[in-house]
Amino acid sequence: MKFIGFVFLLCFALAGCATTSLPPVTQDFRFEEDEKRLWLRSEEEQKVINRSGVIYRDKELEVYLNEIAKKLQPPEVFTHIPFKVIVIKNHLLNAFIYPNGVLYIHTGILAKMDNEAQLSTLLAHEMTHATHRHLVKLFRDIKNKTAFLSTVSVTLGGVGGGIGELATLIGALGTLGSVTGYSRELETEADMEGLKLMVKAGYDPEEAPKLFTHLKKGIEEEKKKEPFFFGTHPRLQERVENYENFLKGQYKDKRGGTMNSEIFLEKIHKVILDNSRLDLKAGRFNIAERGIEKYLTIKPNDPKAHCFLGEIYRQKAEKGDLEKAKGYYQKAISIDPSYPDAHKGMGFIYFKQGEKGLAKKSLGQYLSLSPQAMDKAYIEEYIKQCNEGEKP
Amino acid sequence: MRRYIWIILILVVGCAPWTQVGGLYKNESYNFSVELPQGWMRWNKGEHLFITRDGVSLQYIQIGRTKIEDPLKHTKKKFSKGMLPQEAAEVYLDNIASNSNILNLEVIENTPATINGIPGFKAVYTHKNKDGLKLKSIHYGFMVGDWFYSINYHAAQRYYFEKDLKAFERVVESFKLIKTA
Repeated sequence: MKFIGFVFLLCFALAGCATTSLPPVTQDFRFEEDEKRLWLRSEEEQKVINRSGVIYRDKELEVYLNEIAKKLQPPEVFTHIPFKVIVIKNHLLNAFIYPNGVLYIHTGILAKMDNEAQLSTLLAHEMTHATHRHLVKLFRDIKNKTAFLSTVSVTLGGVGGGIGELATLIGALGTLGSVTGYSRELETEADMEGLKLMVKAGYDPEEAPKLFTHLKKGIEEEKKKEPFFFGTHPRLQERVENYENFLKGQYKDKRGGTMNSEIFLEKIHKVILDNSRLDLKAGRFNIAERGIEKYLTIKPNDPKAHCFLGEIYRQKAEKGDLEKAKGYYQKAISIDPSYPDAHKGMGFIYFKQGEKGLAKKSLGQYLSLSPQAMDKAYIEEYIKQCNEGEKP
Repeated sequence: MRRYIWIILILVVGCAPWTQVGGLYKNESYNFSVELPQGWMRWNKGEHLFITRDGVSLQYIQIGRTKIEDPLKHTKKKFSKGMLPQEAAEVYLDNIASNSNILNLEVIENTPATINGIPGFKAVYTHKNKDGLKLKSIHYGFMVGDWFYSINYHAAQRYYFEKDLKAFERVVESFKLIKTA
């Protein structure tokens, strides 16, 4: 019995003493036992995420994002860590990486970026967490690991806005990286090494602090309260300061480089639209509107976007909003008269305003353009009421 | 001694969280009555009606109401007086879609419906829970005065959904507001 106790104490002491000084994956190295276990756990957590229906499916976008990731790391690093970028359909400002190189990026943060240089800043920051083995280091720092892992999600369960549920979904390791972040020292290392990678890949370093300034401004203006690392004001401020200091120091003569704004915006334009849809569903009208305005700078003649602005105003329905909504629906119709939803929006407003003749015409056009619409039964009912001359 | 045992038994039964139900059920505080299927169990906590036959993870029927102006849990959108049933359905379904616990949501049907003579909506959707179990739900909703009422059926899609669907539809058909003013 005494012997077992001794072995237990020894194991505990050894585990407690496991070094947190680990060389980065860029050098010749071998994974350690606890690291392999973290990889296995990562794979389990990723299975849950990948089958949950939160993955944003866009093959072309996925290829594009993974090409950017490939530019940032030399091939020998990829042989050790097969990096893979996956997009999550979620409005929150979040991105996180598992130690096995699987990097999840939310549509919420992707939609806020302006160019490839900003994207590469975020990817390189996250990739550094994996190459520099930050999760293993953090894990070795935490004394009661099991209790920690089991309480991360539970603690977040009390946080509103669906964040607790999301934390449960992304698992303890994902939550660890994306919510608490790493120590200030490790995050600074990720900033510094990340910047080195993006500059080496030819991107403009001045875009690095701009990304975080932009995100910070967004959360200030929208008075957002998010627990995730990239949605937290002090953590964003730290990033801005770090990158600005690096630019003043070792990169002071390094200006200019690739931004690839046009290619980037072309590749993510659907993400912006779809993320705005999520914002509208959640009733974040102003944020949804900003998203669509950005989308319209890329696709100014897309009837979907004009109609969507109409939807935002129709649903917000504050003073003067219905007239604004009509204007956007009309704009959508003028661009593409065969776009059904704009006719429906117009018909809906006319119906509520008691303009039965106009309502009947617009709703009739909607049904003729979209005869199998899911809301056909509602529309037929409105048309019937218009015919009967009843007031809605 | 026997008298004490009876008192204890009555107290224990009175405190049991689940009670077997069947037949007419009146909920004065929520102002409705329904005919409940025989052999189901009703959860005694909370004022809304919540019944199941085989366990909540397999199927349940829930009837509740909320104040129209009350905030919803997952969306900042709100119900408002004078909303058309389709608009109410839109708010209701967006609240569900914004819930991170609802995975792989797929709305199959969203149609007008009449409940106790009141115009409302019927929405049918499927989704998965975190364990990967596919579930199917029917939600009826309508607004009366200051209240939004919902009558929901929720079951595992395989086997259970079809099995108790008729029982649920009978509950919906029997739904009556006690005071209509």
